[in-house]
Amino acid sequence: MTDRRAFGPGTQRYLDGEPFGELPADERAAADRLAALASSYGARLEPVDAALDEAVMAAVRRRGAVPVRRGAWQWLVSSHRVPVRPVWVAALAAAAALVVWLAPRGPAAPRGAALAAAATPDTVFVRFELVAPGARTVSVAGSFNGWRVDALPMVRGAAGIWSVTVALPVGEHRYDFVVDRTRWVPDPTAHSQVGDGFGGMNSVIIVGPKGLVRS
Amino acid sequence: MNGHGVRWLALAVLLGLPGALAAQEQGGLEARLSARGLPPDLVQEVRHIATDAESRGVPAGPLADKAIEGWAKHVPAARIVQALRAFAGQMAEAAAAVRSAGLEHPSGSVIAAAAEAMGGGLKSDQVQSVVRAASSAEEASPGLSVAASLAAQGLGANQAVTIVVDAMRHRESMSQLLDLPSVARSMHDQGMSAGEIGERLLPHHGDDGPGGGEHHGDKDRPPGVPPGPDHPAGPDHP
Repeated sequence: MTDRRAFGPGTQRYLDGEPFGELPADERAAADRLAALASSYGARLEPVDAALDEAVMAAVRRRGAVPVRRGAWQWLVSSHRVPVRPVWVAALAAAAALVVWLAPRGPAAPRGAALAAAATPDTVFVRFELVAPGARTVSVAGSFNGWRVDALPMVRGAAGIWSVTVALPVGEHRYDFVVDRTRWVPDPTAHSQVGDGFGGMNSVIIVGPKGLVRS
Repeated sequence: MNGHGVRWLALAVLLGLPGALAAQEQGGLEARLSARGLPPDLVQEVRHIATDAESRGVPAGPLADKAIEGWAKHVPAARIVQALRAFAGQMAEAAAAVRSAGLEHPSGSVIAAAAEAMGGGLKSDQVQSVVRAASSAEEASPGLSVAASLAAQGLGANQAVTIVVDAMRHRESMSQLLDLPSVARSMHDQGMSAGEIGERLLPHHGDDGPGGGEHHGDKDRPPGVPPGPDHPAGPDHP
């Protein structure tokens, strides 16, 4: 194959039939030789059937357009047809549900444990008080804090009155005071006292949206 | 995998879901008890009781709550198990009462409230009265709690249920319903007897009942207390 770099730009233009002017004699002779070779090669080619173009284009149309290479993003955002059997959709949905159900969960919150620093529309601030001058520590434990002894420590005030104010959800709550971390003491001001099933007593308050009505 | 195999796989997954769900719930209960420091053998006992209870349509959540309460109070494990069995029995009885009142699929909170009410002295038919009077399933639970609380304040189960049913039938708000125990306690602290408190809390009962008429004792009424006849100082009150 002839190296195109051997042509000068003038020779190229001469061979292409473009107006250029006079070539140097040696270049013109080389260009004429090339033109003669090309002409003789062309004369040896068999004539092309006129139906060839049409046949080639028909074959191209049958195979579809030549895919254009695109990036992954183009592939993701363009639409595709994916043939799927409906049964696979049901199976995959069931498997996904199974994974969700079997996913590890933390321990469930105890009933009424929605104790919050700030009251929401369904919670009401309730103040607990206990007169216990001889106590070293007093706390409130109940259904609203999972009966945790340390969850709601009370603060000692004047005359040995221990108190704490907490936001409680509207509804019924059972609780007791825990004195010195060992003695469970019912609240004498609660709405009622009921047996706890273990031989002790629980205090019961029912908190309405307006809070507690105290005498 | 051929189409036949896929069908069997899908069927197996779908049939296995309920079992997996139940196992997850049980696992959650055990994790919750273990997180609170209950020993493994007690956790297993609670799980057995909860499984048995659930097979009778009784929720496991209140049982777990009760077990945690007992453990927090340093109750011996054997006694906790004994109390849980009794509580599960109460809840099964309560669930039956609630269902026979027309609430076919009661929530755990309704069953627990009914069980605690029955533990506080309400009978099965009284629980049914409250459930029937409730305008919705959500109202039944607080209604039962209020009735139980009033009964525990000495009003007597019959009177407590009458007050709650009356309030529900007259479409008093949830706030008014939930205020009843506070109001009763406030009246008690002012020296009223249980009978007098019951009369005051029944503003809709009878023509001579209090309905907002003027009584010369009204100005001394505590906040939230409905108007009613003046109460004489009984011998049992200071």
